[in-house]
Amino acid sequence: MLVRHRRRIALLGVLVVALVLPYIPPFTGEDYRRWLVGAAFMAAQAVAFDFTAGYINIVNFGFAAFVGLGAYTSGILAVDFGISPWIGMVAGGTVSGFVGLLTGALTLRLRGIYAAVMAWFVGLALMGLIRNVPDITRGSLGLAVPSLLESSENLPYYYVIMAMLIVTFAVLAWVIRSRYGLAFRAIGQNLAAARASGINPTRYLVINFVLSCAFAGWIGGFYAHYYGILTPDVMLTSHTVEVLAIAYIGGRGSLWGAAVIAFPLSIGVEFLKVQFSTLPGVHLVLYGLLLIVVMIYKPGGFAAVVRGLESWLIRSRPGDTATEAPPAS
Amino acid sequence: MTNGRVLDVAHVEAGYDLLQVLWDVSLHVDEGEFVALLGPNGAGKTTTLRTIAGFLQPLDGDISFRGTPIGGRPAHTVSRMGLGYVSESLNLFPAMTVRENLQVGANSVRNKAQVASTMELVFQLFPRLLERRDQLAGTLSGGERKMLAIGRGLMASPSLLLVDEPSLGLAPMATVATFDALKALRERGVTILLVEQNVNTTLHLVDRAYVLEQGRIVLEGTGEDLLSNPHVQAAYLGI
Amino acid sequence: MTSAATNLRSVPLARRFLNFTWLTLGLAAAILVFEAFAQPSIVVTTLVTGGMWALMAAGLAMVFGVMNIPNFAHGELFLLGSFTAFTVYSPIREALLNDPSLTWLKILGPFPGMVVALVVGAIAGVLLEAVLFRPLRRRSREQWVMNTFLLTAGVSVVVINSYRLTIGNDFHGVPAYWDVPPISLFGVPISVDRAMVLVIALVTITLFALFLQRTGLGRAIRAVSQDETGAQMAGIDLNRIFILTMGISCALAALAGASLLFLFPAYPDVGLQPLYTAWFVVILAGLGNIPGAVIGAFIVALLQNLTIFYIQVGWVDVLPTVFIILILLFKPSGLFGSAVKGVWEQ
Repeated sequence: MLVRHRRRIALLGVLVVALVLPYIPPFTGEDYRRWLVGAAFMAAQAVAFDFTAGYINIVNFGFAAFVGLGAYTSGILAVDFGISPWIGMVAGGTVSGFVGLLTGALTLRLRGIYAAVMAWFVGLALMGLIRNVPDITRGSLGLAVPSLLESSENLPYYYVIMAMLIVTFAVLAWVIRSRYGLAFRAIGQNLAAARASGINPTRYLVINFVLSCAFAGWIGGFYAHYYGILTPDVMLTSHTVEVLAIAYIGGRGSLWGAAVIAFPLSIGVEFLKVQFSTLPGVHLVLYGLLLIVVMIYKPGGFAAVVRGLESWLIRSRPGDTATEAPPAS
Repeated sequence: MTNGRVLDVAHVEAGYDLLQVLWDVSLHVDEGEFVALLGPNGAGKTTTLRTIAGFLQPLDGDISFRGTPIGGRPAHTVSRMGLGYVSESLNLFPAMTVRENLQVGANSVRNKAQVASTMELVFQLFPRLLERRDQLAGTLSGGERKMLAIGRGLMASPSLLLVDEPSLGLAPMATVATFDALKALRERGVTILLVEQNVNTTLHLVDRAYVLEQGRIVLEGTGEDLLSNPHVQAAYLGI
Repeated sequence: MTSAATNLRSVPLARRFLNFTWLTLGLAAAILVFEAFAQPSIVVTTLVTGGMWALMAAGLAMVFGVMNIPNFAHGELFLLGSFTAFTVYSPIREALLNDPSLTWLKILGPFPGMVVALVVGAIAGVLLEAVLFRPLRRRSREQWVMNTFLLTAGVSVVVINSYRLTIGNDFHGVPAYWDVPPISLFGVPISVDRAMVLVIALVTITLFALFLQRTGLGRAIRAVSQDETGAQMAGIDLNRIFILTMGISCALAALAGASLLFLFPAYPDVGLQPLYTAWFVVILAGLGNIPGAVIGAFIVALLQNLTIFYIQVGWVDVLPTVFIILILLFKPSGLFGSAVKGVWEQ
């Protein structure tokens, strides 16, 4: 009982730190605040990704394409129809969710690896599509998109994306705690057993997939209106791998692990980029190596490390163990 | 007869993860013997064979095969030392022909002439396999699949063959044919350790048998001894 | 032999061929015949690219069938092959430019690069198995397929970006391996390079098929892919088979990269298109099915070339995807999926 309580307090603490971080040097500078926006953006994506990968054990390898689809939807609505970015972002989430529904309904009844690869193909096809209709998307030239806020400072954007991260986390964590979460886990761990116990796996798989894609699209909308320029490259597989790496390094099936680890990782990576600005792709080498090490030696990732520390702390304070036992009555 | 001892299992304990299945199991098989391991479902007969064949690490105890300790050695090494194993689920290669299955069985044999003569022998024992030699294993009938599994087990000319429940899931006719084949093998001098639930038939066939119950050896004796044993009669023969 | 034949014969002809797989194959064949008259260049390009996709896809299918690894880093072996071939061929090309009279070097010059690429690819494959897959296998086989998929995705980004960091973003290619006038095939002019690619692909695939069908080691590889336990019972050392499988698969991918150097110069992302094409093929044919992958490679090549010719290059990723989704709707296990099963498939 107390462990969960304590973890919640710790998480709240981390959140408070993240919220006041822009006022702590060196993060008071615009450049550093831009890093913070990027970190929160990665965190939100990693949470949405982990919701599928960590629970139903389906790797959405076209994740970046769903982010990009939301971004383009919102961007085009704003550019061609003058629709407010705030509404556009929700529309972006809806469109991504809908394409997620089509993809999921077609592929999720296949074995896990088929679903992962098919999602990747759908992502490649979406990227090809965006490239091939330059009349609407301006193709590789890039689509200039109006900004979300009047201000050109990073601080207000940071609080917007933090709010989106919190909403994403809260909603997905709430779903995980519901009876749906139980079904997700059951299916993710043993599809056959879940089916035998009367769960209709496809339905739950699709629900999970659609939710994840919808949040991806919504977060993508923010990306469009923050950076102001959209190219099909936003959908590149390497972006999926980046998100995937953060989610798995954070710890599959924890949501919070991905959200927390995204900050030091992506800020550290920005720092590296500054140090070696002549070397493109150094951050991807780092992510890739970390991912490999985690996959082989620490499959639970950062979350498992924290859990290990927790139980070590509890064990090393024997007086505390009594409070861990469930109440007798 | 100690120099004729092929298999010696001494005080073996084994199991899966947290569940220990075998407790202090000791048994032995001598050169040319036909020995059976009997017992009810879930007694640990298959676990015993899997442990001997190297698919399961013993937690404790020693297993030696022709004087060499093999406990905990990987399955393929044990197989190459001359210990053949025909599992309950057969583990055939369904998309390969009968002949190819047999060829894979002789994987560790370098001498081509020897492979050819062993295959000849297998076809003599199981003429059905000769008829179907170019048919895919996945398309064989249940009885033919058992024959192929036993045949594949023989291909490396093992000095001991472990056979797990050959009668399982077979029609009575096919069961008779399988037991006839085992009898023929025994007459050719192949040493066999057989696991069976079909107690009556088995005891009439073998030289000696062990009875395994709840992971422990509870009885040991010749086939005739056990047939007249009151516990065996009550628990297995329904007398 | 007799029974197998009678068994097949007892199935009515109509039912044997009127299924989705045969209809697709028939349609592909019909299109090929039609194009042979209408647009022969499509047929020639299909054969050439199809041959190379077959090399890629056969290796990918084998690694999945034998080791249950969906190798996402397969394209990086293509990159490795093309860069190796470039490195080996460059000085040879230099020598040829200095002295164009060296006829024997002109003919044999490209081959050392391909052979070295083959060897380098095999070494890379052995290293992947020894350094990554074996430690993971020893730790846990739970969620193996998904875990190795992620592991190889990690390998892929590491290789691509390390290449970018050390060698850079430049294109390292050659205009042509054999700088001679094109020959004529079906009345279509075809460069000697392309013709050689087709020859190399056909020879390699034939040798590979013979190896799998006729040799003890090949049989052992197939045995492991069909039943791992059964293979161990027959005295086959799984670790040796895994090393061998990875080595061969990666060598084939590297050979594809080396032979196509004149079409795909070495640069960091060069492996991406071969990778997803190989994956298209493998999903279309059914995971782990090697002969299926070879046939599927030509179907996908046909599809791509039709798209490029009749529509536009840009749609080459879009239309095949739609096609594959359609096929998977009818046959979830792929065109030839039921024939061969993976090791841990349940």
